[in-house]
Amino acid sequence: MNRRDAIRHATLAAGATLLGLHLPVRSWAALAAPAGWSSDDEKFFDLVGDTIIPTTKESPGAGAVGIGRFMLTMATECYPTTAAETLRRGLREIEEASRAKFSRDFGALLVPERERLLLDYEQQKGATNAFRLMKELTLRGYFTSEIGATQALRYLPVPGGYVGSLPLKKGERSWAL
Amino acid sequence: MANSPTPGLATDHTYDAIVIGSGISGGWAAKELCEAGLRTLVLERGRDVKHLEDYPTALKHPWELPHRGRLTQDVVSENPIAKKCYAFDEATEHFFVKDKEHPYVQEKPFDWIRGYQVGGKSLIWARQTQRWSRFEFEGAVRDGIADWPIGYDDLAPWYSHVEKFAGISGNYDKLEELPDGEFLPAWEMNDVEKHVAGKIRGAFPGRQPIQGRCAHLTVPRPEHFAQGRNQCQARNLCYRGCPFGAYFSSNSSTLPAAASTGKLTVRPHSVVESVLHDEKTGKAKGVRIVDAQTKQTTEYFARVIFVNAACLNTNLILLNSKSARFPAGLGNDHGLLGRYLAFHNYRGSLYGAVEGFTDSYYSGRRPTQLMMPNFRNRLKQEMDFQRGYMVFFGASRSGWTQGLGANGVGASFKEKITQPGPWGVSMMMQGETVPRYENHVRLSTERKDPWDIPQLVTSVGHTDNDEKMIKDFLAVGEEMLAAAGVKRIGKTDDKRNPGLDIHEMGGVRMGRDPKTSLLNSWNQLHACPNVFVTDGASMASTGVQNPSLTFMALAARAAHHAVGEMKKGNL
Repeated sequence: MNRRDAIRHATLAAGATLLGLHLPVRSWAALAAPAGWSSDDEKFFDLVGDTIIPTTKESPGAGAVGIGRFMLTMATECYPTTAAETLRRGLREIEEASRAKFSRDFGALLVPERERLLLDYEQQKGATNAFRLMKELTLRGYFTSEIGATQALRYLPVPGGYVGSLPLKKGERSWAL
Repeated sequence: MANSPTPGLATDHTYDAIVIGSGISGGWAAKELCEAGLRTLVLERGRDVKHLEDYPTALKHPWELPHRGRLTQDVVSENPIAKKCYAFDEATEHFFVKDKEHPYVQEKPFDWIRGYQVGGKSLIWARQTQRWSRFEFEGAVRDGIADWPIGYDDLAPWYSHVEKFAGISGNYDKLEELPDGEFLPAWEMNDVEKHVAGKIRGAFPGRQPIQGRCAHLTVPRPEHFAQGRNQCQARNLCYRGCPFGAYFSSNSSTLPAAASTGKLTVRPHSVVESVLHDEKTGKAKGVRIVDAQTKQTTEYFARVIFVNAACLNTNLILLNSKSARFPAGLGNDHGLLGRYLAFHNYRGSLYGAVEGFTDSYYSGRRPTQLMMPNFRNRLKQEMDFQRGYMVFFGASRSGWTQGLGANGVGASFKEKITQPGPWGVSMMMQGETVPRYENHVRLSTERKDPWDIPQLVTSVGHTDNDEKMIKDFLAVGEEMLAAAGVKRIGKTDDKRNPGLDIHEMGGVRMGRDPKTSLLNSWNQLHACPNVFVTDGASMASTGVQNPSLTFMALAARAAHHAVGEMKKGNL
């Protein structure tokens, strides 16, 4: 295991603590924080996003692209006004579930615990909308980010032409666009 | 390319020809008139857009757009009409008219999508370029819905003329319903498209899916390089303006060609108020404009005037061109100006899943789909509705969006959704609507626009004929997809309003009989022959093909006729 892999594995295990290492220059964190949300809120959504799309050996996770700020900015500026309320409800319900199940805040959970919690939450009746929105914002933000598009997917800004029939080799990623 | 008015001309305001509008048809008129040696003034109501220079988002990566391409709620709420257009997004919104910038009155709901700038909607069109076939012209005449004074043979050489210059990709398919043209190599089908097309052909003789035809330089020829244009790179970000000049637009193609003659003057910010009629000569003598920025009124004069303001604005200008001789609008002796507005019916669509083909993929983003020409009511009336529809379809594999509806989180979820997902097929109709007297536009008697010109009232709706056609298409689409083994087929009628097709046509229709039409076989107003209309307004019926190539051919043909008539002293 080389140093880079070591860091990635550590990130995988420790979650939030190492996310800061991966913040790219042109990430959402460069934008002003959306009004009405605290930096703790933003960290919470960073963690939710990074649990949905974690760092793997091929590519950094959603926490590395400032996904929390993306989610809050998009929900505030681009989604119907109900979206921000939906996120607030989701935050509250996930924190409540975390304390009920593990007696700790969501941010203090280990990766498998966070995954378990979100998987349960996804299935929970009535929670669907809030988690669907978090997931949609996470995927949209991550896969349109430079890291997501170029490392988790294959990004061809100038394909040069259209090839209609290509054999797909095992493990090959889809196109970002 | 867009020259400012030269001092000498600004003084006398007189040109050989005036072209109102710089979009697809206006660009062609300007090019042909300039190349024939006429000093030509192009009046464009919007701002200048210079090829390459004024495409600010053309090279942006997704992560360089503040909202990754998505419109903000502010833009959405301010643009309840424009936001419905599939091409209106964060990267393209500067090429679309915002709702409040140019108000109009919807007596019946009509989504009027507009692009006010040099190049007009040629910057943001969908670029699909089929010729009309003889069935479009002859069928409409047979059914008594149009009095077309021309047929396919009249237009065929002009299709060739514009195709060679614009650059149209396609296969030589030898179909009478979709005549071949002057083609650059076609785009490829992917494996699933080949499969579906083959199954449809096998199961339904007479239904002929082919690769789509579009105005993209797949393999440019010397005449395209000479325009400064290059090969299409399959980015499919066309609505931002193409940094390669690979799709046809006025900005990349006809306007630079016109400018290179030294005969062209383009005046942006020129809202045409009316065409001026000269009682003594019985001809139009010029146009009156309102400068969009200063609101000042100015007049320009010329021997011939081409009205290419795009369908509805061409109607508006002529309706507002009132004189003692034409109190109801220029050329409008019978009250038919603004009548028989029609459009394309896009309401029906289908989708479904294709199993298998998991080891097959593709690369690049193709700017066209498959097309299947109309097979309904082709040689005679057969259905419980009039006219017909063509079909578009295509297949692709889902990318990361497969994760939106899927349960799961974590590394295995990420692994799954970053690999190509299952294949899906989507299919849509492009139906002919029957021009009807009731479907019309007229001037508002109460409301004016910001330039003190009466607002347009739209009164255009669907008819029972459209409903029956949608029903038939959805049944036909389902049987074809089922025959191709497509699973989980879904059908929708999105009930969209007329206008969102952005194929509005008519109002100044061509016809043999001056009593029932406005324009003759050369697109001249019957009652004022030095005024030509060669945009969508001139169409007597809509056919089933995408219309822009036909507007180009009509414009080039009419411009040559105008030059010939001027030389003979008839104009």
